Amino acid sequence: MAIQELELKPAVPASPLSGFWNVFRKNRLAIAGLAMLVVIVIAAIFADVIAPYDPRSYAGIGAGDIYQPPSAQHWFGTDDAGKDVFSGFIYGARNSLIVGFFAAFISIFIGGTFGIIAGFYGGRIETFLMRFTDTMLVIPDLPLIVIFVALTEPSLWNIILVIGLLGWTTTARIVRSQTLAVKSRKFVLRARAIGAGNRHIIVHHILPLVMPILVVNAILVISLAILSESTLAFLGLSDPLAISWGQMLNFAFGRGAMSVGAWWALVAPGFGIVWVVLALTLLGNGLEQVLNPRLEAHHLMPGQPTVQKEAGEVPARGAFVKTPVILDVQNLSVEYINEGKPPARAVQNVSFQLHEGEMMGLVGESGCGKTTLMLAVNRLLPAAGQIVGGKALFNGIDLTTASDEELADLRWSGISIIFQGAMNALNPVRTVGDQIAEAIRKHMPIENEAALDSRVTELLELVGISAEHKNHYPHQYSGGMRQRAMIAMALSCSPQVVIADEPTTALDVMIQAQILELLDDLRRKLGLAVIFVTHDLGVVAEMCDTVLVMYGGMTAEYADVDTIYNQPRHPYTQELLKAFPDLSNPEKRLSSIPGYPPKLDALPPGCRFAPRCPLAFDRCKTELPRLHELGSGHVVGCHLLERP
Amino acid sequence: MNRYRYLLQKTGWALLTILFVLVLNFFLFRILPGDPARALTRDPRMKAEAREILRVRFGLDKPVINCFETLTPLKLGDCRVNPLDTQFFIYIKNLLQGELGISYKTNRPVADILAERLWNTVLLIGAGQILSIVVGVAFGVFAAWKARTAIDYGALITGLVAWSLPTFWLGIILLFWGSTQGFPIGGKATPGTGAYPLLYQIGDVANHMILPTLTYIIVYMGEYMLVMRSSLLDVLAEDYILTAKAKGLSAFQILKDHAMKNAMLPIVTLIAINLGFTVAGAVQIEAVFSWPGLGGAIFEAVESRDYPLLQGTFLLIAVSVILANLIADLTYSYLDPRVQTE
Repeated sequence: MAIQELELKPAVPASPLSGFWNVFRKNRLAIAGLAMLVVIVIAAIFADVIAPYDPRSYAGIGAGDIYQPPSAQHWFGTDDAGKDVFSGFIYGARNSLIVGFFAAFISIFIGGTFGIIAGFYGGRIETFLMRFTDTMLVIPDLPLIVIFVALTEPSLWNIILVIGLLGWTTTARIVRSQTLAVKSRKFVLRARAIGAGNRHIIVHHILPLVMPILVVNAILVISLAILSESTLAFLGLSDPLAISWGQMLNFAFGRGAMSVGAWWALVAPGFGIVWVVLALTLLGNGLEQVLNPRLEAHHLMPGQPTVQKEAGEVPARGAFVKTPVILDVQNLSVEYINEGKPPARAVQNVSFQLHEGEMMGLVGESGCGKTTLMLAVNRLLPAAGQIVGGKALFNGIDLTTASDEELADLRWSGISIIFQGAMNALNPVRTVGDQIAEAIRKHMPIENEAALDSRVTELLELVGISAEHKNHYPHQYSGGMRQRAMIAMALSCSPQVVIADEPTTALDVMIQAQILELLDDLRRKLGLAVIFVTHDLGVVAEMCDTVLVMYGGMTAEYADVDTIYNQPRHPYTQELLKAFPDLSNPEKRLSSIPGYPPKLDALPPGCRFAPRCPLAFDRCKTELPRLHELGSGHVVGCHLLERP
Repeated sequence: MNRYRYLLQKTGWALLTILFVLVLNFFLFRILPGDPARALTRDPRMKAEAREILRVRFGLDKPVINCFETLTPLKLGDCRVNPLDTQFFIYIKNLLQGELGISYKTNRPVADILAERLWNTVLLIGAGQILSIVVGVAFGVFAAWKARTAIDYGALITGLVAWSLPTFWLGIILLFWGSTQGFPIGGKATPGTGAYPLLYQIGDVANHMILPTLTYIIVYMGEYMLVMRSSLLDVLAEDYILTAKAKGLSAFQILKDHAMKNAMLPIVTLIAINLGFTVAGAVQIEAVFSWPGLGGAIFEAVESRDYPLLQGTFLLIAVSVILANLIADLTYSYLDPRVQTE
């Protein structure tokens, strides 16, 4: 949610392949894996040149050569038959790789075909194939492989065939789910609409998109096949004519290497297996991260310390409500640390004052820093976010520098938040009542469980949810109910300030109206101060006392609701209002603002709104506007006010 | 869908899979060369009467199944025979009576051998699984919590390396090292201690278990750690964690009450999926440490081409894994309330 407002997506690369390489080469582990793999592949290809001895020939070997320790002549020593371990090691690489690649090819072919057919055609074919796959997945494969190889002849190709024929199950599952995801994409549907045949769609549209995942999976399957082969060989099931690492270990282990202390005959072949499998694992892991990048940032990582990087101007503030101030935000600035690039300035010098019982609307398009501002006030920014200036005084305590303990006490009991998208904001594996009770237990004095229980019931009834739903899980609630439950949770510790962050997005219009009415009703009943974050100017006009309009992370305009609607001075406010229907003048044409808000890592040098502003002049493009106070607390950040 | 239908469906599916394994196990050994029952009757050391008894017991004079006289070489036969009077159903009937054939090597009933060995494997896999899950999950949680630090990076590399180790090789290396440190070099108990006090015997078995279990833990811990780490990283980035933080809960409370239960769900699935691979690990560990379990039985059966033992062991392992999988599925339905209504 916080991330949603951030527009930090990397620029589109020139070509997919070069973009891929650019990301891939930064992954040091994957590069190491690739290098390790290249080394062993070269060793396998040029085994005849590299290996000093012919591992199949006994010529020139005497009884005194048995289990000789490593020396200049035999780098890895000699084995139970007096043969050179290093030469066997090099030739073993060849057979391991042959088995790995060919067996994986068979598995990938079968699994890929099953997966694509099941995902693409669906219906009974899918049910049958996936049931079969699940069955095969459950049956332990090593004993089955052992049986097949033991009952036939353990030749290299039999082993490849058996490992290949039994190793396709995970591939089938992965490919099927990717095919399902790809199938419903627009261009596939479009291809179908213009009459492309199934075969054409599979080959030209599905396969290219399934391929990357198939490649990553193939790397894993190769490494598993190599492990299977070496295990079989160690168990004594190997082609007597093809030297492999597992076979060398089988001979050494079975023929006394342990008792004579010939560690080299045991270590070297195993090292070969670990080398190849680790190379493939590192490579696969790296490719996976490139294909499926994850923000490895989470909500429990330590936040950035608050700093005062820039001295703000004198805070401009509105004073329109007569009750005492609860939350006084002064010149708050937030940046997102952006690796290798200058930080993204998400919020700059924003100030407002929230009074008891006041409802403030915080409006602006997506990506204008509204959510970031609210998270910063509660110090809930994602790990990359940092407060770089300003204060947020809650009843005189500066939240930006308060200790973690102070903050933990104030959260929810002082300021609570109604998050947007209650489906994700509620924990799916705990009951709704339990999640409400948890907050009360943390912050309120409770006498006993019965009192807690009746408080939860009371809260749910307050938002129109009957007590019987208390022990239900979030997924058993409807969308509107979940949002109500979220409101009940936000009210559970009798906070003074409630932040409602777009509480009605993703709800249908009737439910939206109900939720808003409930919110307005409750705040009047309970005397709450509310910050209402929204895109909807119509709702703001109806419910709010004051309005803060943000654009590009900065204050565009801040005033009481009448001033905003009747005498807007900032062109952005004026344009926003033109985009909403006016009930007093239904004949008026609606117009939208062309363009999009600026990306936070590519802000224009001057006024943030200049590129889209119909009234912009030269100065707007080079110089940030100052905040002007027009009396009675009406604040506007625009150069036009200095123009005569 | 309510919980009972879910349970019923899963149980039905497990039974169907077992049936599939029974059919596979029968036809595999009949189609591929080395049919155990038939091979036994060709054993020249066997007396004619004994051979006759076996012929009757396995129904070797009967067709394999309706329409098929023999499978190798393939010969079609009469389709109108009584299905209960075919080799396949005689095999099923024998199985239901616990009749799994007689080991070539030891001449003992396979069922008896397996009954002895099953518990040894359960002991080894049980101890290994529990410890590797505990250790892996603990490290995984710690790595995720300290994401993007040296601790996390070290844990990731350790996990990937552990995953890449061939089980049997790690066993060999540990055995090699252990033999210099005075650890027992294999088996389950020191020979000749059968009459010693129980407490001594337990200690002796535990001592024998240290190295095999350590091998097991190192190999499987890595995977549990990696999965736990990535699962917890996903969960900790969820919106409901932010909600919990906004509620003023401490990092520890959030981990304990909000993150762990969700993040453990993939681990339960992994445990289920891993059971098959676990068997592969057990085969290798038991082979290296001469542990008298089912995996060791496979190793020995392959070495001496003891097909009845191989067939019986495979059947027992497959059925155990399927049942264990079923248990994991059922556990999942208790842990994740969403399963019941999906």
